[in-house]
Amino acid sequence: MPELPTLPSRSKVLITTGVALLTAAALLFGAILPAEYGIDPLGTGRLLGLLALGQAQPFAAETGEYRVDRAELKLYPAEWVEYFYRLDEGSSMVFTWDATGPVTYNFHASPDGAPPGYAESFDAQEKTQGHGTYTAPFSGIHGWYWENVGTEEITITLTTSGFYTSAEIGRFRAAGYKDLTDIRGNPVPSVP
Amino acid sequence: MVAAAPIHAHPMEGSNAGFVQSVDGPAPGPFLYLGAKHMVTGYDHLLFLVGVIFFLYRLKDVVLYVSLFTLGHSLTLLFGVLGGVSVNAYVIDAIIGLSVVYKGFENINGFERVFKVKPNTRVAVLVFGLFHGLGLATKLQEFMVSENGLVANILSFNVGVEIGQILALTGVVALLSFWRTRPSFLAYGFAANSVLMVGGFLLAGIQMVGFVLFS
Repeated sequence: MPELPTLPSRSKVLITTGVALLTAAALLFGAILPAEYGIDPLGTGRLLGLLALGQAQPFAAETGEYRVDRAELKLYPAEWVEYFYRLDEGSSMVFTWDATGPVTYNFHASPDGAPPGYAESFDAQEKTQGHGTYTAPFSGIHGWYWENVGTEEITITLTTSGFYTSAEIGRFRAAGYKDLTDIRGNPVPSVP
Repeated sequence: MVAAAPIHAHPMEGSNAGFVQSVDGPAPGPFLYLGAKHMVTGYDHLLFLVGVIFFLYRLKDVVLYVSLFTLGHSLTLLFGVLGGVSVNAYVIDAIIGLSVVYKGFENINGFERVFKVKPNTRVAVLVFGLFHGLGLATKLQEFMVSENGLVANILSFNVGVEIGQILALTGVVALLSFWRTRPSFLAYGFAANSVLMVGGFLLAGIQMVGFVLFS
């Protein structure tokens, strides 16, 4: 228990608590709200230049060439295909894909110089469509794996745009694709 | 005005959150680490513990009070995640902020002076422990998606929390013990607990604004 030399008086406690509350409020409204939430009720955020901290940077410059790609991938039941992009660290792309039937998918990436077979998975679910943006956390090969888990032939329509340098089919087990290469472009033995 | 991403008292962020989301199966090592990191970097939990042990001179009392706090937050962490109990993160973080205010107010004898009551400090620590655990449970559930290995992962996280708590407390107890040997401790004890209240009000205020804006 508190063992202060002289216990504070009732008025001292009340004043201290009030001052504590006011100090917290001043810091909250004067500095934290402008800096963290971009709200500036007292105008101090503008005065101290804190507002910029609370605002998301709407623009991000990218290097490399802008390109747009569209692919239609046909899969019979139980067939699968990978579709890959070469992205440098920090480069991004916008994607939208739509499957005419149920698929499991997995977005994964393999950094340059990684041992064969190494991949980091970022998103894996069973869905029929996906839309979003992807910013590469490292330079390497990044892309999707789709597998037809339904009972009908399906078509996956994929459209991407962004700052990648290549877009191509990777490994697959599907009747409709002829040239078998792995994700780094090396030939792979055909899978029945 | 465009609001930036909401801030929690100390969220799991970036790659940590991504990892927890992708976990499917028991991963004791990472969850142990995350639990410890959550405690060591969690200034709301730390401020509360500073308040709790501020006037505890005997190691026996430190152990007793910290055990009560641990019992409280372990109970709600385990049963919160297992039972899927999840409270709005802003509300629970605001309560945790207010628990810091409570402790500072108690330390300056506020309850005796203002309300003429003497709260049971042990019960209070246990009850606030329950709230802190609910906060941990809520944050863990925001990210955990897989039921696979859930119990092992919560237990690992909980053990990590205790390890982090011991690490943080060792530092706090050492500093306080040193400070207690100086005359300035009694002179500034009152001021230190006032500052604790400022911190608590601040944490609670941030979360209340977050609740209004983002919930």
